[in-house]
Amino acid sequence: MNLVLRFVRRELRSTEARILVLALAVAVASVGAVAMFADRVKGAFANQANVLLGADAMISGDRPLPETFAQTAAAMGLKVTESSRFGSMISAAARDAASATARQSVLADVKAVAAPYPLRGTLEARDARGERVPLVAQVKPGEVFVDERLASRLGVKAGDVLEVGKNTPRIAQVFAEEPEVAGNFLSAAPKVLMSSADVAASELLGPGSRATYRLQVAGERAQEFAAAIKPKLGPGQRLETIRELRPEVRSTLERSEQFLGLAASFAVFLAVVAIVLALRRYLKRELDTATLFRTLGAGQRQTLMHFVGQFFVLALIACVLGVLLAFAAQAALAWAVRGLFASALPAAGWLPLAKAFATGLVLLLGFAIPPLVALAATPPVRALRRDMPTVGSGGVLAAVLGAVAVLAVVLMQSQDWQTGAIFVGGLVALVGVATLLAALLLWCIRRLVRSGRMARLGGPQSWAYGLANLDRRRLSTALQIACLGLGVMTLITVGFVRTDLFSAWQKSLPPDAPNRFLINIQQDQIETIQSLVPKTANGKPVAVYPMVRGRLVAVNGKTVTAKDFPDERAKRLVDREFNLSASASLPPANKIIAGDYYGTNDRGVMSIEEGIATTLNLKLEDRVTFDVAGEQVEVRITSLRKVDWDSFRVNFFALIPEATLAPLPKSYITAFHLPERDTQTLASVVNAAPNVLAIDVSEMMARVRSIVDQVARALEFVFAFTLLAGLLTLYTAVIATQDERRYDTALIRTLGGTRSQIRSSLIAEFTTLGGAAGLLGVAGSVVLTWALASRILKIDFIASPTVWIVGFALATGLTLLAGWLGTRSVLTTPPIQVLREG
Amino acid sequence: MTATLTPSPVANTLSSQPPAIRADALTRVVPLGDRQLTILEGVSLDVAAGETLAIVGASGSGKTTLLGLLAGLDRPNSGSVAWHGEAVSSLTEDALAKRRQGAIGFVFQSFQLLPALTALENVMLPLELAGARDAEKRAADWLARVGLGERVDHLPKQLSGGEQQRVAIARAFVADPKIVFADEPTGNLDTDTGAEIVELMFSLNREQGTTLVLVTHDPELAARCGHVVRLARGKVVS
Repeated sequence: MNLVLRFVRRELRSTEARILVLALAVAVASVGAVAMFADRVKGAFANQANVLLGADAMISGDRPLPETFAQTAAAMGLKVTESSRFGSMISAAARDAASATARQSVLADVKAVAAPYPLRGTLEARDARGERVPLVAQVKPGEVFVDERLASRLGVKAGDVLEVGKNTPRIAQVFAEEPEVAGNFLSAAPKVLMSSADVAASELLGPGSRATYRLQVAGERAQEFAAAIKPKLGPGQRLETIRELRPEVRSTLERSEQFLGLAASFAVFLAVVAIVLALRRYLKRELDTATLFRTLGAGQRQTLMHFVGQFFVLALIACVLGVLLAFAAQAALAWAVRGLFASALPAAGWLPLAKAFATGLVLLLGFAIPPLVALAATPPVRALRRDMPTVGSGGVLAAVLGAVAVLAVVLMQSQDWQTGAIFVGGLVALVGVATLLAALLLWCIRRLVRSGRMARLGGPQSWAYGLANLDRRRLSTALQIACLGLGVMTLITVGFVRTDLFSAWQKSLPPDAPNRFLINIQQDQIETIQSLVPKTANGKPVAVYPMVRGRLVAVNGKTVTAKDFPDERAKRLVDREFNLSASASLPPANKIIAGDYYGTNDRGVMSIEEGIATTLNLKLEDRVTFDVAGEQVEVRITSLRKVDWDSFRVNFFALIPEATLAPLPKSYITAFHLPERDTQTLASVVNAAPNVLAIDVSEMMARVRSIVDQVARALEFVFAFTLLAGLLTLYTAVIATQDERRYDTALIRTLGGTRSQIRSSLIAEFTTLGGAAGLLGVAGSVVLTWALASRILKIDFIASPTVWIVGFALATGLTLLAGWLGTRSVLTTPPIQVLREG
Repeated sequence: MTATLTPSPVANTLSSQPPAIRADALTRVVPLGDRQLTILEGVSLDVAAGETLAIVGASGSGKTTLLGLLAGLDRPNSGSVAWHGEAVSSLTEDALAKRRQGAIGFVFQSFQLLPALTALENVMLPLELAGARDAEKRAADWLARVGLGERVDHLPKQLSGGEQQRVAIARAFVADPKIVFADEPTGNLDTDTGAEIVELMFSLNREQGTTLVLVTHDPELAARCGHVVRLARGKVVS
């Protein structure tokens, strides 16, 4: 082992060994950073499960739960509490009529609870020093607890009075945190706790109101209770336990981890190219060592074990370095997306570290073992016959084992062999296409040089020599351009999405597009609301649409449940209630694509949006049954519609005739454009109809923008590894040609060439290389963003010259730097020394 | 033609002992394109223990090939090689390597030092490969013997050609070999340095009592050896 360690210590002075270690470290770091970050996010759920639930188990539904559930829990000796959760506009109580119309209202997340609450975890308030302390008091009738955000936005404090529907409770406590905050990490609405006893008097919940009803239990037999209740759950009812917390969020997390993992695999792929190039040069150098070992009496096995040991130690060093980099990168990732989480993420466990280490070991040993076996078989007679053919790189076995190693890492990242295989195939195709494009670019350059246009353009001969160098190593050059170009492309695209694309989409919206939605309007409030909100452009009162909540329970007479659908979105649609509406004529921004829209005299029919129909496998003439407040309503699909959701108008997935809707319990919804400077309209609406919820679309878009921004930043961090790996590949390729360059340069200098001319040719070579990579990256990014804009966001493509110029300059500058670092020694080594070495 | 060497006084005394090296009808053929090239044909010789043998001949005569076969670095197409009575040409590669460990030393024209290792570490290498525990001390002693006691931590690139060859000689002798093979040991050195190296090699050889077989173009070096085998076109001519 001492011999191995001594060799490693010496070898780390060589460029090839350093590149091997660095390239592997980049691969390990990109995999490790994503794995650690994902583990931290999952840990935020797993470690705090019962606090996030506020209980050991919870049943929730969109209608009041059967009493038998609570009775069963009580019979098992469990602690039980029931609550409901809904949105409501909250405002500070007005001192007088004048201030009533000027005050601010805030859409809040209201929880109506009964003591004891919560069953697990505690609310936290702040003491005089601002430190968090447990809040054990229970909210009583006539009072509310509000969170710090609501207090801040309304400018209220403990002791002040609020308006919550028809009630005017006093603020008893201001809390900093309550259970379920971290679990609902996408919710940004301020929170209010009120007593369940006050709900009826508030008149916040009427027919068609959207609320979630919950039963929470805690105790030793909670899991037993969950197992007993699960078969009895009806449609729209969900059970969550510590072990199965928020399955939809868990599913989102797994998808995100998979996506980030695949993004990191991109860097792994490029790093592998650098590893292979560095390995070839390293092994060529080690040929003399292997020969000497064999000559001095080391058998094949002993020689192989020595080299395997060397590479194992190098791999360990790379893994440690990579893991350290990963720690820093995942901390940066967590910081970049900190706005998505309400509380700090816990530390990562040991599994991501193991994953990162495994990546490094599998990659290096997977690629190194076959050529090492070939190296160990070096015939000792090579000591006398230096002109013997060099050892092979391991042949087909090496290629197969290397490919298996990469595939193993990608599969580990994708967690799904199909996705992994598609990704690898796509990546190989992408690199192949990029290489072809790069080769085409080089052909153009070659034509330029050979045609003599360069000289006619006034370029020095040294430039032509530099460009000819690129042409001499065509395949290697094309690959370098492709790898670097792909790295630049991903970074430019993500940056563009984060900045220009989202802004362009926002600007594409009509200036008078509705930016306020009012929901939960009751029938007797319609005229009042229409008189308070701005009229439409043609002077008419805003349209108000009926909305009925119904759950899909049967198709063509056959009962359906969420379990009948494999698609996650379909499951959610069936589990929750649809919003059904009616419109005598086809609404604007809707287009019939199949069947005929129903007429005013039609009954029992439905027009459905095409996307929903596809998700739920519904087609024309299918009979669909909805459960509306306990009443079964069957309709026949007579048309499919395409909806322009970007119009921001009120639109519905399902439209039924007014005659069918009329007898059903309903609320109403409307949307209008409110000028930003208008602060009175909404206050008037809340005064007149406290049960109405006002949704500020601009605020929601700002929130979405913020989320997109943070996610894009996270992606930029991950793709930065791709760029780093691309640069390492370039540097390695340059190093691989170093001996040849040194010899050529020595000859040229001997024949009278100056250092300045050689320097000029190197600059020309690497500037062209980087420029070509930058051009490829920018071109690829333009194609990607055009596709995103025109096909997905359906907006005009926006040119972003600044981003392109920055991307091009970055690629060119970094390539020049990497190339210069790899070749500067050719200018400093005395020609005589090189020529003597031969 | 077979080279029958005049037995030396040492060899006479120990004539009951097998020769240090016995080569019997060695033939070596290599493929060259679609034809075969015979590099050596029917070469036989004996080298007694403690003798010095020079293999001489023009370029392409098969000298280095013969050296490789005698040293067990290469395998003959036919014929056999034995060291101290033990046949080695029929051994497996690993078994042959094992026999070389500690028994055979090498000095090469191009020194063949590992550039990343210091002089001390280069000399230690044969001992470490054989699993010796006192490698460092023995290597340091040998470097002192060859006059490089103060250069132990220097890398090969920090040593002159002659110094590098001294390190190589120390490495060749450090494991107390019975036989030392040298391939053009002065080929890359100037005349004066070459002479110093030759002097060092022969004095160490005398002190250690090793059998020395060397390939050389240098007639003066060949003249210093007890016996000379001349090759021409793959055959022994004298």
